[in-house]
Amino acid sequence: MGLIDSAVDALETEVNNLKLNAQEALDAFEHDSAGAVYDSILTTQLGKVVGWAQKNALWPATFGLACCAIEMMAMANSRWDSARFGAEVFRASPRQADLMIVSGRVSQKMAPVLKLIYDQMPEPKWVISMGACASCGGIFNNYAIVQGVDRVVPVDVYVPGCPPGPEALLYGVIKLQEKILNEAGTDSAKKRVA
Amino acid sequence: MTSEEIVEKIKNDLGDDILSVEISLGDAVVHLLPPALPKVCEFIKNDADLDFDYLSNISGVDYLDLDREPRFEAVYEFHSMDKNHSVRLRVGIEEENPSVPTISHLWKSADFPERELFDMFGMNVEGHPDLRRLIMPDDWEGHPLRRDYSLTTEDVAFSFNRDYKSELVKSKPPTR
Amino acid sequence: MSITENGLLERDKDTMTLNMGPSHPSTHGVFRAILEMDGELVGTAKPDIGYLHTGIEKTSEAKRYSHVIPMTDRLDYLNPPGNNLAFCLSTEKLLGIEIPDRSQYLRIIHCELARIASHLVWLATHALDIGAMTVFLYCWREREEILDLNEEISGVRMMTSYIRVGGVAKDATDEWLRGVRKFIEHFPAKIDEYEKLLTRNPIWLDRTEGVGVMSRESAINYGMSGPALRASGVDFDFRKKRPYSGYGNFEFNVPTRTQGDVYARYLVRVEEMRESREILVQAMRDLPGGYYKNPDSKVSLPDRDKLKSSMEVLIHHFKLASEGFKVPKGETYVPIEGPRGEVGFYIVSDGTAIPYRVKLRAPSFMAIPGMCKMMEGSFIADVVAVIGSIDIVMGEVDR
Ligand code: SF4
Repeated sequence: MGLIDSAVDALETEVNNLKLNAQEALDAFEHDSAGAVYDSILTTQLGKVVGWAQKNALWPATFGLACCAIEMMAMANSRWDSARFGAEVFRASPRQADLMIVSGRVSQKMAPVLKLIYDQMPEPKWVISMGACASCGGIFNNYAIVQGVDRVVPVDVYVPGCPPGPEALLYGVIKLQEKILNEAGTDSAKKRVA
Repeated sequence: MTSEEIVEKIKNDLGDDILSVEISLGDAVVHLLPPALPKVCEFIKNDADLDFDYLSNISGVDYLDLDREPRFEAVYEFHSMDKNHSVRLRVGIEEENPSVPTISHLWKSADFPERELFDMFGMNVEGHPDLRRLIMPDDWEGHPLRRDYSLTTEDVAFSFNRDYKSELVKSKPPTR
Repeated sequence: MSITENGLLERDKDTMTLNMGPSHPSTHGVFRAILEMDGELVGTAKPDIGYLHTGIEKTSEAKRYSHVIPMTDRLDYLNPPGNNLAFCLSTEKLLGIEIPDRSQYLRIIHCELARIASHLVWLATHALDIGAMTVFLYCWREREEILDLNEEISGVRMMTSYIRVGGVAKDATDEWLRGVRKFIEHFPAKIDEYEKLLTRNPIWLDRTEGVGVMSRESAINYGMSGPALRASGVDFDFRKKRPYSGYGNFEFNVPTRTQGDVYARYLVRVEEMRESREILVQAMRDLPGGYYKNPDSKVSLPDRDKLKSSMEVLIHHFKLASEGFKVPKGETYVPIEGPRGEVGFYIVSDGTAIPYRVKLRAPSFMAIPGMCKMMEGSFIADVVAVIGSIDIVMGEVDR
């Protein structure tokens, strides 16, 4: 019980903080509705709210490539249950997804397809590179494998391992959530949407 | 049939078409040249005693580093589902214009492995209905499993410094 | 389409080309099929593979034998022990070494656990493709138990590399064996659970019976193997026909069916899980004592505790780790029965510590033309059922 209570407490504090932030922003807007202030305070605070929402509703695209995809499936399953962190709605269509988990080795033939799928995803979007192969080529330093998927798409979080366990991938998702929250309201987050 | 009986029978019935037979680590092995391949295959498939109805595998080998003549080899592995025995055909292929006749009219399962021979070793499979690259992209140059094709094409560029890395990547030929 | 004399577009055929994959949720990896559709019916299906080409065969030509084993794990990533075993059997045949009984049994236990785990993934994804979500969750529940056992004995959940040339990587502890016993005790009830959900389920029957039929002759001619072959009425299983690694000591049945449709393949695989469990029961009962690998220090690494007290052992360890073992000249191919069918490595050795050529006989690779043949003339909705029933793993298709 203690756990749940403390979780509820933490959540309430978080929501309260956000409410306060938003209230502050609105107050500032009412008191001084000059354009510059509007831009710096309101959207910044509002961006935080949006970021908080985005962080808890990541929709990964189903993009299984190789061995790592099996562990990605394990992550979505009952035992590891990524639903606890709001990242369980795997979408078959990239148009409905905002997170791409590159799970496995990317071959030279697959790289253009991967880029195409990434381009189809609507902004804002994030990429997790799962496994040694996707991060740096792994044990396959050869003609067939792209040495790191970051040569094709920008990567936000690298998860090492061969394959990384579901718990490692979950940790990667949590790290990504932290990143989204930290970035929220900053210029780089605005750029993502623009 | 045991391996000894298989090579004995093949030697007796097809003596002119094959080069030699051997027992290698207990497996029946037949050496032959490309022109004889369809005939030998047809024989071992239809003969009632041999009855090799299942083509299991085709492997290409490039003997460039071993100084062996001829340079290429295609190795065919056959099983018989009912008789439960196996045979291996080893077909030596010349370096100049490497080519081998197709057996995909006898076994449909030869389709993919023969295309793989073409793709990975650059062997011309005569009479194959659909000889295109199978695994590598269509515009790929070279045949990766040849011994003179280099394994790695670029070093791993790994750096935490993004700007430096993008410089590095820019200086390399773009990944396809 | 072509342009007629009066300038109108004329469609010269009434078909539509549908591109399925390479990133499609139900193609089980990055398989691409180009379907020529005639309304709802599939006219022709053309496979396109190579999207996961990893160059493993080429890379193996630059690694020592013991370094190739982790590569084989990544070929058929649902059945790593089977690939390890196939590679080790071929190497051991070239080396001409004997394997002690205990390691044979440990290998079999490991392989059969992997077979069950692989079939569980197949059942989970196959059922999910056809629309049964519950089975998906149930199967992963049991698979996690097997992965935990893997982790306990080898340190990794999936890519175990547990089977080595000359034996296995380390001995099984009593605790691990207890874990296996516990698993095989309650596993049959779990299979009953899946079967209760599917076997007599009218929707399942509608989607699978009479779909993707393949006759005995064409199954042989197309080079299908494993469950896909046995569901078409060919009673061929390397474990029975050419017992390797001590399978001759076990009593088990080889399930076959004659219908050759998706449902038959489903039944064969489910039955196979029960038979695997049967083998596991016998293996646990008869597990002999003794050393877990070939004591020949030229091939297998010496025990760790001896390393600190014996100079000779240290030298052997150093030589093995830095140079590897030399394998006599020759070629060989040893087929084994994996979850998807005949797996084997054709290895050419030139007498050094590095294999000259490694070629995998991959059951999924050979099955793809046959699978596309099955799709032809079926409904578009049945395509996913057919793909699921063949259980392809792209890692070994593209290598
Ligand atoms: S990192 Fe390892 S498990 Fe993941 S795709 Fe690469 S080889 Fe497979």
